[in-house]
Amino acid sequence: MSTLTENKKKKTAIRGLGAAMIGFAGWAVLLVVFGMIDPNILKWTNILNLLRSMAKYLLVGVGQSVILITGNIDLSIGSVVAMSAMISATMMSKGISIIVAVLVSLVCCLVVGVINGVLVGKFKLPPFIATLGTMFCARGVAYMANNNRNTDAIASGIGKEAGESFQNFFYYGKTLGVYNAFWIAFVIFLVVFFIMSKTRTGRHIYAIGSNVEAAKLSGVNVFATTTKTYLISAFCSFVVGLILCAQASMGNMEAGVSYEMYGVAAGVIGGISPLGGTGLLLGAFAGAGVWQTLENGLGIIGAPVGIQRIVIGVIVTGAVLIDVVVRQGVIGKKAKK
Amino acid sequence: MNETIVSMQGICKSFPGVKALDNVHFELRSGEVMALLGENGAGKSTLMKILSGVYTRDSGTVEIFGQQCGDLNTKQAQALGVAIIHQELNMCPHLTVAENMFLGREKKKGFMIDMKAMETEAAQILSDLKIDISPSEMVGNLPVSKQQMVEIAKALSINAKVLIMDEPTSALTAKEIDELFRIIKRLRADGCGIVYISHRLEELQHIVDRVTIMRDGQYITSMNFQDATMDEIITHMVGREIKEKFPRVECQKGEKIFEVKNLNAGRMVRDINFEVYAGEIVGFAGLMGAGRTETTRAIFGVDPKSSGELIVDGKTVTVNNPMDAIRAGIVLAPEDRKKDGLCTKLPIRENIALPNLDLLCNPIGVVSKKKEDAMCDKAVKDLHIKTPNVEVDAGSLSGGNQQKVVVGKWLARDSRVVIFDEPTRGIDVAAKVEIYNLMNQLKQQGIAVMFVSSEMPEVMGIADRIIVMCDGRITGEVMARETTQAEILTLATRFENKFAEDAV
Repeated sequence: MSTLTENKKKKTAIRGLGAAMIGFAGWAVLLVVFGMIDPNILKWTNILNLLRSMAKYLLVGVGQSVILITGNIDLSIGSVVAMSAMISATMMSKGISIIVAVLVSLVCCLVVGVINGVLVGKFKLPPFIATLGTMFCARGVAYMANNNRNTDAIASGIGKEAGESFQNFFYYGKTLGVYNAFWIAFVIFLVVFFIMSKTRTGRHIYAIGSNVEAAKLSGVNVFATTTKTYLISAFCSFVVGLILCAQASMGNMEAGVSYEMYGVAAGVIGGISPLGGTGLLLGAFAGAGVWQTLENGLGIIGAPVGIQRIVIGVIVTGAVLIDVVVRQGVIGKKAKK
Repeated sequence: MNETIVSMQGICKSFPGVKALDNVHFELRSGEVMALLGENGAGKSTLMKILSGVYTRDSGTVEIFGQQCGDLNTKQAQALGVAIIHQELNMCPHLTVAENMFLGREKKKGFMIDMKAMETEAAQILSDLKIDISPSEMVGNLPVSKQQMVEIAKALSINAKVLIMDEPTSALTAKEIDELFRIIKRLRADGCGIVYISHRLEELQHIVDRVTIMRDGQYITSMNFQDATMDEIITHMVGREIKEKFPRVECQKGEKIFEVKNLNAGRMVRDINFEVYAGEIVGFAGLMGAGRTETTRAIFGVDPKSSGELIVDGKTVTVNNPMDAIRAGIVLAPEDRKKDGLCTKLPIRENIALPNLDLLCNPIGVVSKKKEDAMCDKAVKDLHIKTPNVEVDAGSLSGGNQQKVVVGKWLARDSRVVIFDEPTRGIDVAAKVEIYNLMNQLKQQGIAVMFVSSEMPEVMGIADRIIVMCDGRITGEVMARETTQAEILTLATRFENKFAEDAV
């Protein structure tokens, strides 16, 4: 009897695992299908490239998923990515040390997170509108960082050697045979995953997403917790900005456009409901993988860009459609009773 | 005139676990105002919802204007001339008076809305009723009383002959009530039948012709208002059978634990003063909308207070939000489980842990699985929560077990004051008894227990002392053992006399 309940406990202990696993299964199927069409896709070099490119989607997926779990949304992600890239690249290209450039950039990004948190958590603005505003403003800051121009090469300011070490650290270098960009994203993913599943903050985030009134009446500080989620999101965007900056060795004002939506897609494909309260962050990993594999695979087999977009669109909407239909099915059944 | 226009016979209606209506009769004649009276949960609203097509009946017959009606929906009921004016008005505040009156059946000229025709007709109806409202006024800009008049005008614009009004005067001033009564009298003279649901017995004399009294989902009696005395009406309303046995526990009354002084928070919480001692359960009785829930929410820091002092164990505590309250040892199991009490999508474990994470976390905020499991296992065992394991979604439990989870959250920590707001609503008898036992346990442990309930027998059976509220004020305090249902109901209907105010 006791072993039976123990078993049951273990099985249901990780909630949302099913949906995340479906995401991973979908990812595996995609890889197999692409591999049959063109075996090059499954070659180790391509897999390494895929993991590296996936890093940015994984990060925005993590950031956006945390927000989605509270039932909110963060539209400013793409703009914060650009802000991070532009501020750090501008400073580095003018010869300011890497550390200072990165720290200043970090502070600026976190400020956007705090503003989002205050607008949504304190003033109860609809998150769509609040973060739409910060989306425009952050993009504006990205433009202004270098006087409405993309930056020069970062090496021109901090020197060739320092520029290369920055680029290697965030993008081109490898650790244990895998590109650093992936490792960075993976470590952040693990940390946020830990926060979400094992800490008080994580519990509060899920509680707000499930029922904000009940959370409040249980003593949860909704404002502080909401702000934390936007800080996590802003931090993830900040790192993506550095990765893009390292990849291009310069800052691009148009970096990160629509990344907030890639983040939504990654989360949703991984079973994180945009209605809040449910979903496992692990799903965002699968979602980012699916997304990058589609982009990578469809590119390699030479599918026209138009087809790529349509396939991706169908998969994202399909994932949400399934989520909604399943929910409505459950609710409908209850109502009939 | 005065022929029967609505006749409901042998109406029964069950909801899961409750028989809401049991063989109820109801008759309404044209040209009369019929008061439908009864305590909370007597079945008045359910009966009227059946008449207006919101619910379908399980059995019984309904005849409207001599026509047998099968199962009605709201549209069909409307077509037959039945209109209901809810306590919460159903108006679109951003549309004009005329637009609201013709909502869903707009007049058209070709493809276009014929605003002019609608406004003309609306103006006609309003002036017929001598209501001074412009049809082009935005409804949101009108005071509640005028919005209500618009609702009435809307009902008349669809030729309603049976008008059901649910607590129409609760938000009105004396002057506005006069105006409403003038319109009701006017409608009565025109041959409408009006069902008037109100807890404010003192206003009935101004308006009512007959009364029908219900109790426990059953029809009790109907009579001419002229022939009845207030006492007689109250006696009919209260004689509730006390079916359940209440497990009362005797305790020595100890020292004062909790005191509330001059608490004010809006219209529904006015100058509240009371004390709770160790070893007693203080019941809060009253009718719906008496301000009891609002009082608990103000104490717990959910809603802002305009003034007031809370004293726990002799020390004044500042409570600006629920976090402060929890820290001060005050906890609240709220009225509406689904809305305020539970995160239904989360497992039982996380619901129980949620307010206690401060006890379960290490200094950097990581939840200790071991402590958490121990806490949840204890709660499930102590409260007899019936569930395969604690990982089940809280939303999938039965009402009684959900309630136990809500309560269980709070019993895991050492609180000084535990407030239960309608803890037994919608749960089965066995679960009720378990909740009572729990309250008794707390009482024996010397914890201050506040017990808000609209079920009079239960308050009288469980509480030691009962504070009665009406309209946001405390109107009386009685000892449970010495009081009668009639006494409590009299206190609970002691509204400020709006007419007397007017006369002064």
